[in-house]
Amino acid sequence: MPPLGSLEQEFPIIDSNFRRFCASHGIFSVEDFLVNDLCALTGFAEREPMSEALKKGIAQVVSLMDRQHQPWLNGIDLLRDARGNKRILPTGCQGIDFVLQGGLREGLLVELVGPSSSGKTQVCLHAAAHVVDEQLGTVMFLDTGNSFSAERISSFLDHSSMSSSYSKVAKERRCCSVMNSIVCQPVFDIFELLDMLHQLGITLSHKVRSEGNKLCLLIVDSISSLITPILGGKDSHGRSLMISTGFALKRLANEHNLSVLVTNHMVGGEGGTLKPALGESWKSIPHMRLLLSHDCGTNMCTVSVLKHSSMVPSSQVSAATVI
Amino acid sequence: MEISNLPISPSHRGKLLAAGYTTLASLSSISPVQLAQELNIALQEAYDILKVTSESRNFESCNEGLGEGASLFSHSRAKTAWDMLSEERSLRHITTGSQKFDAILGGGIHCSEVTEIGGAPGIGKTQLGIQLAVNVQIPVDYGGLGGKAVYIDTEGSFMVERAYQIAEACISNTLDKFNFQGMDMRACQEKMQLNNFLSNIFYFRICSYTEQIAVINYLEKFLEEQKNVKIIIIDSITFHFRQDFDDLALRTRVLSGISLKLMKLAKKYCLSVSVLLFNQVTTKFTEGSFQLTLALGDSWSHACTNRIILYWNGDERHAYIDKSPSLPSAAAPFSVTCEGIRDALPQYKRARTT
Repeated sequence: MPPLGSLEQEFPIIDSNFRRFCASHGIFSVEDFLVNDLCALTGFAEREPMSEALKKGIAQVVSLMDRQHQPWLNGIDLLRDARGNKRILPTGCQGIDFVLQGGLREGLLVELVGPSSSGKTQVCLHAAAHVVDEQLGTVMFLDTGNSFSAERISSFLDHSSMSSSYSKVAKERRCCSVMNSIVCQPVFDIFELLDMLHQLGITLSHKVRSEGNKLCLLIVDSISSLITPILGGKDSHGRSLMISTGFALKRLANEHNLSVLVTNHMVGGEGGTLKPALGESWKSIPHMRLLLSHDCGTNMCTVSVLKHSSMVPSSQVSAATVI
Repeated sequence: MEISNLPISPSHRGKLLAAGYTTLASLSSISPVQLAQELNIALQEAYDILKVTSESRNFESCNEGLGEGASLFSHSRAKTAWDMLSEERSLRHITTGSQKFDAILGGGIHCSEVTEIGGAPGIGKTQLGIQLAVNVQIPVDYGGLGGKAVYIDTEGSFMVERAYQIAEACISNTLDKFNFQGMDMRACQEKMQLNNFLSNIFYFRICSYTEQIAVINYLEKFLEEQKNVKIIIIDSITFHFRQDFDDLALRTRVLSGISLKLMKLAKKYCLSVSVLLFNQVTTKFTEGSFQLTLALGDSWSHACTNRIILYWNGDERHAYIDKSPSLPSAAAPFSVTCEGIRDALPQYKRARTT
């Protein structure tokens, strides 16, 4: 909230007289108003000369503060929004769709956790390919480890059931139009990511809605490699950046009906067992957490639910590896 | 957007928050002189702060003007998957010298990716590094990339005489191969001079972990000056981080910062630079027994795009692809000869005569 001086241009009622009065009570910015007793302040204002102007100034500041909170919604509005706006996006991997009860739901943040080379990037690529194949919308892939492989996406599309009946030229044309719906952006810095999410929010709120080309899936692979260099140490700023990122992702998901998928890695915990990275503060941020593990011998990946917003996390499914 | 999400120093951030500026919008109508007076900082620092915030604000104002025309592609580096597919297909690969090894890699080491190669001592990591530093210099006409190499040595295992030997063998093998195909030998010989091969390898010797961080920070500027570097080899990334490093949390932070910088380098000089990191092995106690795994812990295993593990299988050296976004897991044998890395010789077992 800006200091009172900068509000004078927009609201001439907050003039130097008002500011002098506020300064005499230790109030320099709009935030200070929040921690002061407004009734007592109005009482002091009555005793001053020009009390009407002062009281109008106080009312103006209070109305400014009222504009800052989110609108109230009731249960019926939320249900209508969930049923009408928030679709389910199937990922194409049967095991994961089963565990997620249909697929990735728009408006939710899903986290994939797993040790190295357990298939997290493959799941993200497969989900992206499947979503654009079914023409559910466009996909944005934020890549922090140069692991986006367009070759792999085109091989998924070749193997998909929809394309088996086309001729070679038609396949190529379809591949081109479908792959143009996936946008990949490399990100190597947490500040870059926050900036990007901010800009994405602005772009999406200005864009006219057109069903086919709407962004519906945002993938960040992997968010842990952006946060690990800043987490820990003497400063707690790293942790606050991590929480801000989580909130920015959830806000984007909710306001613009996106499904957000992030990947995380694992670190050693107590007793030698592995646990997800990024610590306790991050645990509560994603709506759902899935654990992937790869069995080297049988070449199968297992998916299990660590946290689910509407299910008891006890089901475990084996999913075959995607070729 | 909050001020705390912008890349400004902690002291400036503290002063901005104390003065009441918590969002981007609150800085929209203030001049640098006014800001400097309010926060009690130098004018240049106020300019710097407003410069950081103005980039985001410019985007906001230009988007409001464009309205419908604004698209997801207004970010400069976003590309569609179709464009990336055509780029990937046109990328060249760096051959390792062994055909079977190249085959499992899909042609050779990929460009614009960070590859980690790990193995037990004596398996041939440094030999592979020297071979790749030579192979990257093969001219484009003869199937190579025609570029220079940067070799960052932390262990002191780079031997110039060996590089000379490998370069000599590489030149004579390439000449033989293309002579066989009927190409002009003289032009080939002129392009591939032994002295040029050695002078195109830039060598850095690192003696501590701070020097390692400094060199990686310096690499960006170096790559801009030397336009033609096509491979960066770091042999090995683990050496200075294993002993005498007390603060493990600091080690994780520093290593993940290094890996992000290397990823950024590989992507920025896109289509041409590949980064190779060599890793050592350590023992790990899992499920009641000691196993050999790559060093630097679980968090480092996510820092690379591809991972190749070199191991002994009986008497033969094998390479195994452990992690890759586009290649299936496979193993291939190779051998280290006096000419460098080559295919493994087939082993003939003598039949028993009883």
